[in-house]
Amino acid sequence: MQNWIEAFYVIDFISVGILLTAVSMNAVSRLETCVKVYTLNSLLLSLLIAIVATIIGEAHLYAASIITMLGKGILIPLFLWKIVKQMKVTHEVEPYISNTLSLSISGILVAVVYASLKEGIFVTGFAKNVFQISLAVILIGLFIMISRRKAITQIIGLLFMENGLFLAGFSLTFGMPMVIELGVLFDMLMGVIILGFFAVQIRKAFRSSDLDKLTVLKG
Amino acid sequence: MEALQFIIILIFSPMLQGLIKKFKANMQGRLGPGIFQTYYDLARLLKKDMVVSNVTSWIFRATPYIVFISTLAASMIVPVITAQYPFVAVSDVIALIYIFGLARFFMALAGLDAGTAFGGEGSSREMTVAVLVEPMMVLSIFTAAISAGSTNLAMIAKTQNIFYSPSHVLAFSAFIVAVIAETGRIPVDNPDTHLELTMIHEGMLLEYSGRYLALMEWAHYMKQMLLFTIAVDIFFPFGIVAGALGITGFAASFGIYTGKMLFMCFLMALIESTRAKMRFFQLPSLLGGAFVLSALSLLIYIMMGR
Repeated sequence: MQNWIEAFYVIDFISVGILLTAVSMNAVSRLETCVKVYTLNSLLLSLLIAIVATIIGEAHLYAASIITMLGKGILIPLFLWKIVKQMKVTHEVEPYISNTLSLSISGILVAVVYASLKEGIFVTGFAKNVFQISLAVILIGLFIMISRRKAITQIIGLLFMENGLFLAGFSLTFGMPMVIELGVLFDMLMGVIILGFFAVQIRKAFRSSDLDKLTVLKG
Repeated sequence: MEALQFIIILIFSPMLQGLIKKFKANMQGRLGPGIFQTYYDLARLLKKDMVVSNVTSWIFRATPYIVFISTLAASMIVPVITAQYPFVAVSDVIALIYIFGLARFFMALAGLDAGTAFGGEGSSREMTVAVLVEPMMVLSIFTAAISAGSTNLAMIAKTQNIFYSPSHVLAFSAFIVAVIAETGRIPVDNPDTHLELTMIHEGMLLEYSGRYLALMEWAHYMKQMLLFTIAVDIFFPFGIVAGALGITGFAASFGIYTGKMLFMCFLMALIESTRAKMRFFQLPSLLGGAFVLSALSLLIYIMMGR
């Protein structure tokens, strides 16, 4: 079981896949595709945890994998999907900067993470690569949050950050206690639901989901 | 004997173009022209008279020879079926990119030389695409070059591995985008049309006829096969002969090479059939994305060590 995981670099491929989905968020301009990319990212995350669970053989990692898949891979995307449908938003997201530039900036972010974590890092083995990638995902999620105009893409940026944080915690500790994981997950779910209602309300009140319009005082 | 392996590229490159057209036609439910059609076209063009505008300078007349000969020189230094041949010492990737650059420079000049609007348009577009494509081609080749420890193509091919790791998969996908852009295939350029709004490569050739056109077209086919060969040399070089070339070695290596070329043709036909042509001003988005992909592949290789 462990042989083929090491022989085919499965962990490397999945973690690079997580990084790639985060980077490709910068090039996506349709809201539906944004949700799909986030779903893929979460599913890859849960797959990574499941693979590590088969290597280490700890039961609570399997549980964490299943919870991640159900919560982040199915529940949150379904809710986001519903918001996108409800808001009847146009397909295009109008970012502040062009796709090419934001792709390049996210590439630079990855380079910065790699350059700053080259030495003095205390995790070893595959966890080192995963830790670097998780920090890159956090930074890219932050960048998506500050570079997009629409409320819904900013929510997705926040979710990417959370995925990165989860990955960082996982690579450092091989799974946090179940209580914390469950707590974070429910926190996230509630946060997304509240943010989603906010996005819908903003759309109703201002006839636009553009957060720039919020600077105009009403009545 | 080993020095003559470039003849494979010289002879079979029009057939490769025919094969791609045939695959594409079959995928779209058409019968398509036979795979030898490109040979007939070249033979017909070689027999025809030329019409050369009298406002053109020597550049217009010299360019077909320069393009053809530089492509031929490039095909001499690329390992096709054996990695042990007299030109190994000069088979450097960077030199190869610059030989392509020479051909492209003169092609763009010749497009401008006749003074037509379409020629200049084609030249300016070709240069815009080239600026975006070259760095990502170089970066994705460097990923393989670092793992082989040399920028020499024969050395990279000789390491005899299927490069299988995340960084190489990323580099290969970036390289495929570069090949598509360089050969003027569908998301970037449409090779089948002479519609003035879309053409890039055809725009520069618009003033050519007869023998010159045949040389330019043939050079283009050779460049296409050359790029495919570089891709398989770098990213899956298994089966290439590393030592002296015997009869059995030749047969085995040639068979594997044919299989790999068929795979590349199929891949190109698949991409061309399933993708739509992009607007020219959307191209930086695609090519910039592929550039980030190649940069990431290099970064990941350096950090992960595989």
